[in-house]
Amino acid sequence: MSDEEKVLEREKVHLDTALRDPEIDLRLPAVVPREPYPIETLVPEARQQTRAVGQRATRQDGRLHGLGQTKYIDDMSFPGMLYARIKRAGIASARIKSIDTSAAEAIPGVMAVLTGDEIPVNSFGPSLQDQPVLCAEQVFHAGDGVAAVAAITEQIAEEAIDKIVVEYEPLPAIFDPVEAMNEDAHKVHAPGSNIYATKAIRKGDVDKGFAESDHIFEDRFTTQMIEHVSLEPHAAIADWDANGRVTIWATIGRITLARADIARTLSMPMSRIRIIGTVVGGNFGGKNEITQEPALALLSKKAGRPVKGVYTRGEEFTSTTTRHPIVMDYKTGVSNEGKILARKVRLVLDGGAYCSWSETTLGKACILSPGPYNIDNVVAEAFVVYTNKTMTGAMRGFGAPQVCFAYESQMDDIATKLGMNPLDIRLLNAFHEGSSSPTGQVLHSVVVKESLETASARFRWQEALT
Amino acid sequence: MWYPIGFTVAANPSSATVRVNEDGTAVLLTGTVETGQGSLTVLAQIAAEALGIATDDVHVVSADTDTTPMDTGAIASRTTYVTGNAVALAAEAARDILFDTAAQMLGVKASQLEAKDRKIHVKGFPQHAVAIGDVAQRSQFVLGQPSIGSASWNPPTVAMDPETGQGKPFSTYVYATQIAEVDVDDETGEVDLLRITAAHDCGTAINPMLVEGQVEGGISMGVGMALQEEMLFRDDGTHVNPNLTNYIMPTSLDMPEIDVDIVQGFDPTGPFGAKGVGEPTAVPTAAAIMNAIHDAVGIRITSLPATAEKILMAIKASREQEQKRLSA
Repeated sequence: MSDEEKVLEREKVHLDTALRDPEIDLRLPAVVPREPYPIETLVPEARQQTRAVGQRATRQDGRLHGLGQTKYIDDMSFPGMLYARIKRAGIASARIKSIDTSAAEAIPGVMAVLTGDEIPVNSFGPSLQDQPVLCAEQVFHAGDGVAAVAAITEQIAEEAIDKIVVEYEPLPAIFDPVEAMNEDAHKVHAPGSNIYATKAIRKGDVDKGFAESDHIFEDRFTTQMIEHVSLEPHAAIADWDANGRVTIWATIGRITLARADIARTLSMPMSRIRIIGTVVGGNFGGKNEITQEPALALLSKKAGRPVKGVYTRGEEFTSTTTRHPIVMDYKTGVSNEGKILARKVRLVLDGGAYCSWSETTLGKACILSPGPYNIDNVVAEAFVVYTNKTMTGAMRGFGAPQVCFAYESQMDDIATKLGMNPLDIRLLNAFHEGSSSPTGQVLHSVVVKESLETASARFRWQEALT
Repeated sequence: MWYPIGFTVAANPSSATVRVNEDGTAVLLTGTVETGQGSLTVLAQIAAEALGIATDDVHVVSADTDTTPMDTGAIASRTTYVTGNAVALAAEAARDILFDTAAQMLGVKASQLEAKDRKIHVKGFPQHAVAIGDVAQRSQFVLGQPSIGSASWNPPTVAMDPETGQGKPFSTYVYATQIAEVDVDDETGEVDLLRITAAHDCGTAINPMLVEGQVEGGISMGVGMALQEEMLFRDDGTHVNPNLTNYIMPTSLDMPEIDVDIVQGFDPTGPFGAKGVGEPTAVPTAAAIMNAIHDAVGIRITSLPATAEKILMAIKASREQEQKRLSA
């Protein structure tokens, strides 16, 4: 054989042997050899222990997540499934004069279009039902939904919502919660006041406490609006059967409440609704109520096909709940020894355009605001106020991280002023077993001091100070 | 910090159903939703402990309004405490049916029995035992009593007075401390997070590994809240940064070294003494970091996030004040 022929022979790829020989460099599209699933499931020992509590048991879904086999909603598809998109207002406060969907309906591939007036009961909310599924008359924040479209591909749906023409009459808007508390500020949900909920806690006599204090500290703290940014966006699929029963797969953390809300907004009995909560890729509070599900259900009913809706990352910021920014005024009176004698707190929560979980956040923030300290004289007043911004709702902590930032910052300032070790001033004031909370509750299983001591020992706090 | 478990005063019940299969393994039906925190594993551990079997023997079915019992939801750090209590009670109800059968098989009273190591044996005399699988078989096929138990649980609260707020809004609270160590560059205002030490109370840690996971995850959210994250609006109310490019969030490069300690605790009102830990982990972090910055450069940030600009401006302002005081 000549040299050229030898090279050709050497370079020739024999497909019947090549796929089995890992040494041969294949200039072919990558072919992943099929591995059979192991018959013996490898089970870490902790899951086999019969004293189960206290075991570092690995999660049953860990293997599925690692191999990429978990089915999130975006991984699910059904025959004939359509994709939905929602048109966002883009304007913070306006009256809707007209919505023209004819151009969108004319696009080939668009199977259903929905506007707010077609929704049987166009309002929902965990405590105040002030949020529309799709706005029909007025828009309250820039991320509000005004129409929804279901089409055979996402791109067509995206194009269709651009073609929907909405005429707005701009209205005044208010964005600062402290300003919004004034009587003459623009009323977001007119004619009611912008302050839609208040809470107060009063214990002892703060005036007397301040009179007896050696030092008084007054500070204002503010926090920002934050978004959960869970890896998986809000997603849902709605499908009807011939008996008028709707099944909704959703990323919602509260499926019972979701079913109740769908029953209410669609005016249906609960027995005709099935909500399936799939494995959710992170919730952190943002997925505790319905968002697009009633719209998807109605689009599905109109089109006669399953409809999937997945929020874009942009919509996660503009159109889903966020953390309440809070303006916190703290006035604390202490003795020379560092004992807190009185504390007065005023919280103003930015409640966004709709209530959502604000009442709960208000309650928790108010109750937790004095901190885990034995204080005989406490006044805590909290207000939550409408503004024309993205609605604020549940987010990991419900107001606690904000007030903790305030009371713990002030604590260190007090320690510095009195020349005390920040650890010692906290140990002096902290709750112990049987302490009375600001609401008068007798606390049990209290380990504040133990947690302070454990963390300080581990951090080597005393050495770090020197 | 302190943080409550469950809803403020309002009823937030959870229900669960436990069925023991004929071979001694079990199925747990719960309406809660797995959102990535590993709650289904923890609930399986609670059911397994009550039945005397292993975590792996319990299969969890969740989150379907047609088939699983009602659950208020995976919210307010309540799953381990409230749903866990419901699961423990349901497992005990299923176990009691097995105890009735085992009592007959062993010739003792049901109150003398306990379940451990996949067997039901007499308390104080473990040699007198019978395998759970055998008991379940006999219970279902000979006595016609399949082992199934359902239970609901709601935390006991007292409504708060509308004027003074006095009441018992929550059944239990958890406590924690976090300490942060930072390095602040006083010429750029940038903060380098070196270390965070966290000591968290969760009652009994049903699964310490998942508790540590929650602490680390919570700290990452706290770091974002302290130093980076902020949704910005223009004067007309439209969003400036509704995207991941301009909404700054912590990445793995921003995370400090984290030391986690689980503080010893036991809450008699919780399942096997457990409380909860999901949200408390994100609560004290921002405060710890702000206090560390205060210790480092002597400035007090009162508005979050503590961006480099804010810190630098505060450092400059405090230096100007120093100068004025020295020269005055």
